Amino acid sequence: MRSLNPACKFISLLAVTVVLAGRMDPLWNTAAFILSAALIIVSGVRIRTLLLLLLPVALAALGMFFTGYRFTADSAMPVSSAAFLSGSSQLVNGITQASRVFAYAGLGYLFALTTDRILMVRSFRRQFHLPQVFAYGLLAAWGAFPHMAMEYRKTKAAFRARGIRVFPVSPALLAPLLVKSVRWSDELSIAMESKGFSARAERSDSSPAKVHLRDWIMLILCCAVLPAASILI
Amino acid sequence: MEQERKAWELKDVIMMAILGVVFAAVYMAVFQGGLVISTALTPFGLANFGFEIIYGIWFMAATLSAYIIRKPGVALITEMLASAIELLMGNSGGLTVVLTGFIQGLGAEAVFAAFRYRRWDMLSMSLGGMASAVLIFCYELYYLNYITLDPALLAGQLLVRFISAVLFSGIICKLAGDGLARTGVVRNYAIGASADIVKIYDEEE
Repeated sequence: MRSLNPACKFISLLAVTVVLAGRMDPLWNTAAFILSAALIIVSGVRIRTLLLLLLPVALAALGMFFTGYRFTADSAMPVSSAAFLSGSSQLVNGITQASRVFAYAGLGYLFALTTDRILMVRSFRRQFHLPQVFAYGLLAAWGAFPHMAMEYRKTKAAFRARGIRVFPVSPALLAPLLVKSVRWSDELSIAMESKGFSARAERSDSSPAKVHLRDWIMLILCCAVLPAASILI
Repeated sequence: MEQERKAWELKDVIMMAILGVVFAAVYMAVFQGGLVISTALTPFGLANFGFEIIYGIWFMAATLSAYIIRKPGVALITEMLASAIELLMGNSGGLTVVLTGFIQGLGAEAVFAAFRYRRWDMLSMSLGGMASAVLIFCYELYYLNYITLDPALLAGQLLVRFISAVLFSGIICKLAGDGLARTGVVRNYAIGASADIVKIYDEEE
């Protein structure tokens, strides 16, 4: 999965998500999740890391199970769950909602854990024709993220040193971070312009992201074969 | 002259991207908070409300950046950049986070466009957030299979989402934007032109 072109991988997995959303089938959702988890592990991600990431997902899935179970659309309503599900029981609706959470999270993590961030932006720029000003702006902002995290920790430590307790997303913490962020954005844009970056002049790429045969196979499988199978089965 | 004033500069794009990063980090942080509330409401089947209460936070990047920069397209692009950053960070909601960002940004952008990008106040920002809430809710009926849930529950969810949108993307973003303007750090943007600057924030001070 790591060697696939990020833009093609994105489109492929997005197509799978859309098919699952239309299908509303717990079996398909479960199959998608198991396959995603297997591919993540095969790609070298530690099982413990994956399990830790799936912990909040499991809680969200449990919540959706109870919501689906207790609040199924009644068959007398204009919109009936019975029209969309293979079974009409509350239990099936609950399981469908819960399995959907696992399936989407599995596909999301499959992309996030097996994709290089920089390569992803470069691939989006080339394959999706993302304007370079956004691509480089995104990369520049992404580069500033560690500074923001550090600034956040420093502000939090300063409050703690004064004996003041603050919530993780307290305005008292976010206000200085916003001020700093605006300053960084100014400095970044000046630095980029001073180094010759222009939003209009076209740039070349030393190692452009290419689409290989394996990417086409993945695209055909996810964007053509899977939707066709979903209609036929 | 008007065309030149509305054209995007590099500093605008970097500002949008940086705000995207800040709010993507906030989204990730509040997701954990939402999960705690959601888990507490799980036995009652009301887990969705745990996230509905804070849903307005997801519209903040769009309204705040538009309020500061005040140019066409800013709300839409900032929301998309924030969602792209969320994708980079690893998002449990799945790959459609970028599509979600597009839909949410489109709602806010439509309202600012309806005001011809001339009205920048709590009303336009609140309506922007509410429009985002409506559009994303329609999308979730399909994508999150909400169509199979009780319509009364869905109506309740939408009501709470509206309140959250007004609170976070309207009231708090307006206050945050005005607060930033007063510090002087956004004096080079449209919001700075009309701001009553009380302190020029300086790193060296």
